[in-house]
Amino acid sequence: MNPVQLALRVLRADRRTRVATLLTAVGVAVATALVLLLASLPMAAEARAERALWQQPQYELSTGGGATISWSSSTDEIDGELITRVDVAPLVDPADVTLPPGIERLPGPGEMLQSPDLATLARERPPAELADRFGAEPVGLLGDDALRFPEQLVVLVGHSRDTMPDSAMELSSFGFGDAEPDELLSLLAGVGVVVLLVPSLVLVASASRLIAARRERRLAALRLAGATPAQVTAMVAAETGLAAVAGAVLGVAASPLLHRLAAFVPWAGGTWFAGDFVLPVWLVVPIALVVVVLVVGAAVAGLRRVVNTPLMATGTGYARKPLSWWRLLLVPAAVAVFFWTLTQASRQDGTMLPMLVALGVLMWSPSLVGPWITSALGGVFVRRWRRPAALLAGRRLRDDPKAAYRASAGVVLAAFAGSMALTLMPSLEAESGYYSQFREEVLYLTTSEDRAAAIVADADEALAGYGLDVRAARVDHADITSGQELHMAVVATCAEAKRLLPGTEGLTCRDAPAIYASQPLDLAKAGVHDPSTGSTVPLPADAPVAPMPAAADVVVVDPVLWPSGAPAQGVSVAVPATEKSREIVRTALLGASGGEQVISKEMMLGQQDTQLADLRRVTVIGLVTASLLAGVSAAISTAGSVMDRRRTFGALMAAGTPVRTLARALRAEAALPALVATLGAGALGTAVAVGLFGLVSQSAPVFSPWIAAPVVLGALVALLAAAVCAPALRRVRAEPLVDE
Amino acid sequence: MHTQATPLLTGRGLVKRYGQQYALAGVDIDIHAGEVLAIVGPSGSGKTSLLHVLAGILRTDEGQITLGGQRIDQLNETRRSELRRTEFGFVFQSGMLVAELTAEENVALPLLLGGRDRTTALGAAREWIGRLGLQGKEHRRPGELSGGEAQRVAIARAIAHRPKVIFADEPTGALDTRTGHDTVQALVESARTTNTAVIIVTHDRELAASLPRTVAIRDGRIEQAVPTA
Repeated sequence: MNPVQLALRVLRADRRTRVATLLTAVGVAVATALVLLLASLPMAAEARAERALWQQPQYELSTGGGATISWSSSTDEIDGELITRVDVAPLVDPADVTLPPGIERLPGPGEMLQSPDLATLARERPPAELADRFGAEPVGLLGDDALRFPEQLVVLVGHSRDTMPDSAMELSSFGFGDAEPDELLSLLAGVGVVVLLVPSLVLVASASRLIAARRERRLAALRLAGATPAQVTAMVAAETGLAAVAGAVLGVAASPLLHRLAAFVPWAGGTWFAGDFVLPVWLVVPIALVVVVLVVGAAVAGLRRVVNTPLMATGTGYARKPLSWWRLLLVPAAVAVFFWTLTQASRQDGTMLPMLVALGVLMWSPSLVGPWITSALGGVFVRRWRRPAALLAGRRLRDDPKAAYRASAGVVLAAFAGSMALTLMPSLEAESGYYSQFREEVLYLTTSEDRAAAIVADADEALAGYGLDVRAARVDHADITSGQELHMAVVATCAEAKRLLPGTEGLTCRDAPAIYASQPLDLAKAGVHDPSTGSTVPLPADAPVAPMPAAADVVVVDPVLWPSGAPAQGVSVAVPATEKSREIVRTALLGASGGEQVISKEMMLGQQDTQLADLRRVTVIGLVTASLLAGVSAAISTAGSVMDRRRTFGALMAAGTPVRTLARALRAEAALPALVATLGAGALGTAVAVGLFGLVSQSAPVFSPWIAAPVVLGALVALLAAAVCAPALRRVRAEPLVDE
Repeated sequence: MHTQATPLLTGRGLVKRYGQQYALAGVDIDIHAGEVLAIVGPSGSGKTSLLHVLAGILRTDEGQITLGGQRIDQLNETRRSELRRTEFGFVFQSGMLVAELTAEENVALPLLLGGRDRTTALGAAREWIGRLGLQGKEHRRPGELSGGEAQRVAIARAIAHRPKVIFADEPTGALDTRTGHDTVQALVESARTTNTAVIIVTHDRELAASLPRTVAIRDGRIEQAVPTA
């Protein structure tokens, strides 16, 4: 009988082996499906980025000759949702312009193609709030192949060459080719593989625990009957291999379903097309094979005891497995190395690799230290117990802490990574309010000196037409030198500055035109810097200088006092808005400018919020998935631990020990390592995050309630582990003295 | 031979079926306080089923069991567990000690589970370990004890809470003849000091012959109940 036949025979005969095999297969399926999903993420991101290449500037297509289109892109928003706007004018016969996939024809001047969601939105909202921004008539829809994600708001506006925005560039074609990978998503996918694969494999290992004792006896009997180590190994490889292959096939089969679910998770502003996640066969097969090899390899490696000492394996010997204290040294050592690399990284460039290696060692350290802490905790229980539950749990934790801790290993990584991310995110969010050059509720548009007046006039006309009293203002920017100092200057009246510039709320305006500065300004030495010639145009030496609040780090010069011939380095048109009028003001500005970029503090913060929300979402999904896997592993481990000792527990129950008493002991035994591991890993992750945050910011880190999430999930794992104690014991009670 | 009029534990018309198979097919049995009784029979004769039914581990399908005149066969699982914990003690074939606990902790365990405090339970455990000749081995784990020593710990565990009846299921099954005999003697002598009845299930006729009374069972029926010593 060959090993596969023997494995099938055992499967047919033994119900518990069937259950364990099924659980192993499920574990392998979960691991395979998760790895396939994570492996597909960078490709999915690339696929969506490639579809959107026509929306991105590609400077290598900008040529002196051979240009076919004049092209410009800008971002806009409505109700916080990003709108991508592309303006285009053909420079050759439109029929000769190569169109990107998903765009059936080039819109002519005054025409536009919209994405389906934008078209719907434009129909539903008053024209003043959206449709008027584009200054064109909708003539069709963009296809899926032209959209970054299904619900993307994007518009392609047709022009003649002379109506294109100032920012337009001449290109040989729309963007095409290979997109840059999403580095953040690729990094997260890599972390995800570690954070989710480990608990998946722990789940597989836990499943094998269910039949560990029974299998050891069977294999030991076979060894004693003359089976060689190679034959025993082949039998286990066959047994596990059957489950692993079945699981891998199941994982591959379930993969499209998982991909479909993943497609609903927003990233970078939108969800995904299901087709984004398709993985090539040349990648699927090796991934599935590696998972199978890992699982079979782990099972074979676990045979050492049976192969080496079959007699011991058949006995009931119980060996204590104490741990050395040196394990404890690893954490401070890893922390010290990490923070040393951190300080080096903050001093110079190019030391990220040692820091990442140190971070890896830090992430690994809980798996060495965790069992020691578990053992130490068991020692406290053994010394201080008052009730049998504490005694039983304490002895178990003390004597075989590695086994007790094993089921928690999966959640440790998740807790570590989760705590790190959930500490960093609120701190980064607190930093993200920094856009001091913009005033809240003011929309800004950068344009040229030539067009500024026309845009102001058109915008004012539109604003009046929409029934708003607010008006646009031109604001010129320049640099003022004063001795060795260089100041940013804005040409505006005091009233306009108070209305449009950040930090000017406390400004007191003089009756007469003046220069307002937050720092002393020596007008005898001060002048407007001309970057084109390097010369300076003096400011009027007798101009009154008034104080400017320190919060406004800018010099405001009244237009009356601006020296003639002094160059402006930039021209903005700014319009204050309210939450209610924001979309209409935006429409007026965009309609007037014909597609220039309009920005606001709210828009910039909104984009940051989107990124942080993505990170938070991914972190929470990863944490919850890892915790569920770890919880199931812990539950199976607990059930296996009960089954290992069913004769002992059966005898205790036969002698009248209530199930609830034994369950209480087992619950403590199962839950404590998970809690200890989670708390420890959470604390370590938080410390590392504080260190990392110190690298990028001088501010104090912000601690939000989210930081408790890993601990809550650790408690969930502990609860899941503990929940199976009573049912497993009740199963033993049904036949307390039946042999294993 | 015991002559008390009122038996401590009685079984009347005990029937236990597993599907169509009769493990017990109408057994009547009396056990008196302090009595030592061997139940012998071949494999599958029903002797272990009888022990489990009398101890309340298994429910009877028919018949009555009384302890001290009170019916115990109709008690629910909770009450039967309580009864087993307080009135009965158990010794199993391979000791079935908790591998992680020391000898004294194993002995103290039923007392702790019964609500005794740590000091009292460990004190009683040490006393019984001493009485059974295991001084100095209180802190050893079951894996560090010989088979005979582990069975003595199991006996100490069974008797430490001074039960009315000790049920021993093949207590010498994993021991050599000499050690087995010594172990049973230790059990019998310990029980005598507390006037505890002992019911020993064994397939060892020689061992049974050394005990005061033997009941032979075959095909779920009592064959004979004769005094042997």
